[in-house]
Amino acid sequence: MKQHNLRTVVSFEVRRTLGKKRFWFMTLMVPIAIGIVLALVVLGNIVADNNFDNQSESEFSFTYTDASSFIDPSVATALGGMVTTEPAKAIAAVRAGKQDAHFVYPADPTTTPTEVYGVDKGLFENGKYSDIATQVLIRSAQDQIGDPALARLAQGNVPISATTFTEGKEAAGLMGIIPPLIFLVIFFLMFFLLANQMLTSTMEEKENRVTEMILTTLNPTALITGKIISLFIVGFAQALVFLLPVLVGYVFFRSTLSLPNIDLSSFTFDPAQLIVGALLAVGGFALFTSTTVAIGAVTPTAKDAGNIFSGLAVLMFIPLYAAPLIISDPQGPVAQLFTYFPYSAPVTAMLRNALGSLTGWEAAIVVTELFLLSALVLRIAVRLFQTGSIQYNNRVSLKTIFARSKALKATQP
Amino acid sequence: MASSKEALVHIEHFKMEFAGVTVIEDLSFDVHRGETFGFLGSNGSGKTTTLRALLGIYKPNGGTLHIDGRAFTPQDGSRLGYLPEERGLYKKESVLTVMTYFGELKGLSKKVAADWSMNYLERVGLGDKGKTRVDKLSGGQQQKVQLGVTIMNDPELLILDEPTKGFDPVNRRLLMDIIEERKRAGSTVLMVTHQMEEVERLCDRIILLKDGRAEAYGTVPEVQNQFGGTMIKTHYSGEIPTSPHYEVTTRDRNYAELTLTDTADESDILRGLVNAGVLVRSFTPIKLSLDEIFVQVYGEQSQAVGA
Repeated sequence: MKQHNLRTVVSFEVRRTLGKKRFWFMTLMVPIAIGIVLALVVLGNIVADNNFDNQSESEFSFTYTDASSFIDPSVATALGGMVTTEPAKAIAAVRAGKQDAHFVYPADPTTTPTEVYGVDKGLFENGKYSDIATQVLIRSAQDQIGDPALARLAQGNVPISATTFTEGKEAAGLMGIIPPLIFLVIFFLMFFLLANQMLTSTMEEKENRVTEMILTTLNPTALITGKIISLFIVGFAQALVFLLPVLVGYVFFRSTLSLPNIDLSSFTFDPAQLIVGALLAVGGFALFTSTTVAIGAVTPTAKDAGNIFSGLAVLMFIPLYAAPLIISDPQGPVAQLFTYFPYSAPVTAMLRNALGSLTGWEAAIVVTELFLLSALVLRIAVRLFQTGSIQYNNRVSLKTIFARSKALKATQP
Repeated sequence: MASSKEALVHIEHFKMEFAGVTVIEDLSFDVHRGETFGFLGSNGSGKTTTLRALLGIYKPNGGTLHIDGRAFTPQDGSRLGYLPEERGLYKKESVLTVMTYFGELKGLSKKVAADWSMNYLERVGLGDKGKTRVDKLSGGQQQKVQLGVTIMNDPELLILDEPTKGFDPVNRRLLMDIIEERKRAGSTVLMVTHQMEEVERLCDRIILLKDGRAEAYGTVPEVQNQFGGTMIKTHYSGEIPTSPHYEVTTRDRNYAELTLTDTADESDILRGLVNAGVLVRSFTPIKLSLDEIFVQVYGEQSQAVGA
């Protein structure tokens, strides 16, 4: 019967959530926004390509003065430049729109800024003046070096392949950090997208005055557990909806979007790190969900619940603000405090796990702590729901709940 | 249907406090299997609290509250039909979805719950509302749906907290019919009400709750006897003798009203008058109505009489 009721609650909660237009509006808003941004990027790239082609074909001319003697006249001429000895007149010509641009190269361009004057072509297109002024300098310098290889070296344009070792093994580097870090992203995404639903999930029984009928038909633990499981399922469905446009964009519009070709073989998948990441994400989500559900059970309105919830959200964000400290000194007091304090533990531990600074023992302690505390908070949430949901218009204090529990124990034989 | 004497609901020395304030001091009563039991009391006298404690929603501060020999748990919900004082349904869902959900929670299969719901909706004139959202129904229509949810599992025990509260006359009659139907089907009914005509029509036994204690408890005639007992109106010739069993409260030529001061039988009173040489032309025992008893017990405390 318990299993039957749990299934019934999960099925009811999932179906009615997925059946709501509001849910799909909120869920699809993110991928639609991503889609619009992608479309704008594609459109922007196409327009930029066209502009580039047009610009390449169009005539661009400038004048310049050279106090440094570094400028090679042939390079400047090839790019549309013409030397002048009358900078004031040249600037006046630019001001009058008769000349595209005028560059003033100082005696030492490495320490003194090169002055660039140009006809205003808009915020983005104005950048080409600086680009061309720089190109004239670079190409002139390359010409003076003579050897193309030396010229590339001088530019620092050299590929480097780095290999680092940890405990005698080759370290994964950035490619090893990204996979476990995905759990942190999923954790944040799911929590913030489902937060409102978590808060209102138990409030609904209270607001609709169905609590008493529910409590006499269904074990409150089954109800709360069913609601939490359904939140997991709904969260999973939402994650799929979000991933879909990303996959479509990557598979079908990779070249148009100028997306890099992701070679999965370049990532390092450490099974232990991934398992710890997944456990931390699930444990953290369970803890925050049961806590949020408990808040919803004792507060009379969504507004009241929201005020308490914002405190919870702050606890989640604090480790991100302290990330430099956590990364640089993982064994320091701040990192340790955030690692073991339950409501900052999921984010801190997931971050450290991805960076490889979370030891096996630490991971075991934090994962155990999160799951045990989730179970405890779930029990408290059930108790709060039992008492709080009958108080249709009042907030119930923990003192009231535990005082009642104590009185009961005192009277029991 | 006559009730057996076996107690389906047993409450003994029930005590309940909220924040140090005693709501129920020491309450004991039984509801027999198959009977319809009226739970009466003024507003705030602790009736709803007692029901909630009986159903495990509140934890009592003392005493025993049993249904069928043990404390109620939600696992027993499949045998219970409970219409709480605070009513509601999932307002954003369709009528059929809500009814089927509660049916499933009460142990019915989805199909049985859906079929029963459709039949019920047809019966109460809501056959076309199955797919309508609950909040699109009128208040009266929502009450009918709520009633359906309460009885859909063919409950052995029906607990109704002010069942006719807010019902229009049509729905009230429907509810009365359904209670009688359930009674005929053998259900035990425990109902809280302020409607004395409902009590007189339906209840086999009643309890009157005042200040956290039972003020009166028994069958309706027993309670009537308990409160001022019986008054006798008589037309006579002769001299009415004095008696320890009655007091002459009104005397007007050949008419008198005798108020019984103990539980003496009315036929004994009549025999006593005749034996004293009184020529009794008419002899009509009049009992206090429950309404009058209610007013007598609660006086100004009650705001709900006749509501």
